[in-house]
Amino acid sequence: MISRTTLFFILLLGANLFAQKSSENLLDISNRIKFGNYLYKEKDFIRSIDEYKIILQSYDDDTIKFRFAKSFFNLHRFNEAAENFKTLFLSQSLSEEAKLFYFQSYFFQNDFSTFRKITSRQIYFPERYSKEVKRLISISYLLSDEKLPEQKSLLESFDDSLQTRLYLFYQLKKNPPQKNPTTAAVFSALIPGAGKIYTGEISDGIIAFLATTVSAYLAVNNFQHDHNFRGWLFTGLTSFFYGGNVYGSFLSAKNFNVTAKENLQTEIKTFFEKRNYTMPEIDF
Amino acid sequence: MSIKKLFIFIILFSDFLLAQATIDDLNSNAEKLFENGNYFSAITEFKRVLFFDERSTYSFNANYKIGLCYKQGAFYDEAVKYFSFAEKSTNDIEKIFELKTQVIRCNILRKTTERAIQLCNELENDKRFSQFIGKINYWKGWAFIFADDWKSAEKFFQNSEEGTQLKYIAQKVNREKLSVTFAKVISYILPGSGQIYAGNYFSGFLSLAWNVAAGYFTINSFLANRAFDGIVIGELVWLRFYKGNVENAEKYAVQKNLEVSNKTLKFLQEEYRGLKP
Repeated sequence: MISRTTLFFILLLGANLFAQKSSENLLDISNRIKFGNYLYKEKDFIRSIDEYKIILQSYDDDTIKFRFAKSFFNLHRFNEAAENFKTLFLSQSLSEEAKLFYFQSYFFQNDFSTFRKITSRQIYFPERYSKEVKRLISISYLLSDEKLPEQKSLLESFDDSLQTRLYLFYQLKKNPPQKNPTTAAVFSALIPGAGKIYTGEISDGIIAFLATTVSAYLAVNNFQHDHNFRGWLFTGLTSFFYGGNVYGSFLSAKNFNVTAKENLQTEIKTFFEKRNYTMPEIDF
Repeated sequence: MSIKKLFIFIILFSDFLLAQATIDDLNSNAEKLFENGNYFSAITEFKRVLFFDERSTYSFNANYKIGLCYKQGAFYDEAVKYFSFAEKSTNDIEKIFELKTQVIRCNILRKTTERAIQLCNELENDKRFSQFIGKINYWKGWAFIFADDWKSAEKFFQNSEEGTQLKYIAQKVNREKLSVTFAKVISYILPGSGQIYAGNYFSGFLSLAWNVAAGYFTINSFLANRAFDGIVIGELVWLRFYKGNVENAEKYAVQKNLEVSNKTLKFLQEEYRGLKP
């Protein structure tokens, strides 16, 4: 026979268990992890950061730490991403991946000299992803204005399928097509419009030649026929066209150089962006 | 009761007393954040509600409020997405109409006014919303305001009870606005007059003077039997000033119209007390 007290305890326990199920604490750690992962999956990184921050205050988990850091990385908050990937350097399972993303965090800050300086620290180097880091170093040279290393060492870590384009980029970086601004100005000073033709602006060059020579002819002709006012008017126009053309040719050559350089940089950047900078897709 | 039993009793009973965050608690917390204008956190909490709301009890409300929060933060694409989610959770015609008008308002605010007008037309043709025709015209009027078409805006406010004050405002703007075509045409006839019409007197008189001088030298060359001189001066000097005068007339008239529109939009933003997008 069950005593009254025991029966009371059984009922209380049953009610309690029922209450646990129906009013589960939705703010406990396991539910927070579920919700944080949901936000991360939905790419709502700004909120997954907040959720993971709360979780990590009382729960230590490498995957969550990785996702926390990756959320910063995906939001392009690379400084915070690097700091948080660094906390995983001693992780048993994610150390190598964290190191790779640590380097990527520096790479994407576009401060390539700091990036290369950090990659030279052997203690941080991810053995499993050494080729990937080497590729990032090569890309950093192709994206910056610094002196390029030897072609072989720069391109060897890339896949064969990319070699033709990369060789072309290397050659264009090494010997960019340039126009000398002084030469362009001198050409235009000798023959109006010639400097523009030299920089590839052929129609502008022809127009400049015609405008200058026609107004110069009219100036001379008007002076010869004693139409002094019109003579001076055309002299002014000739000077305006001539000076403008010489200066314009100088600027045109400079513009050519800047545009060629920018176009090449954009082309290289787009090439690597399309290929995710040749980095593997890593997520946990 | 022995001490041992009392201890077990306290442990079991204390579980009832411990705070448990239920779905209702999450929702009321989210509502509080929303009411206090803490929209960023409100979005997080409403998303939490949606995530744990297995029975979809709060689906409409949470999606709707998330939409409103995003709208407040000017994330209109996200707002539209959540208003559309909310629409799937209700069959109430008034609620559906409210959600659809919210989408229209987002389109007005993100300046995709053509889409806003298209959505208004769709509502107008939907028989379920025939009792809301005045409201549809009201938002159509607003869409035309943001499309800088104040004449159409006036027309639609006229057919809306709520739009009486806005009708007069649109009328006033229409009166104050200049005709760009008229400014250009009078500039073709008398150089500088278009700029003067747009209120730029100095530019207008200067343009007139340049055109008179250039015209004089061109005609003078022809009269002196130097046709080639005349052609070159006409092409290089007179035509340049003449074309510039017409282009300036257009530019100043457009600029003036923009000033009138912007002044009114500022008034609507700061002073107008009626319903705004």
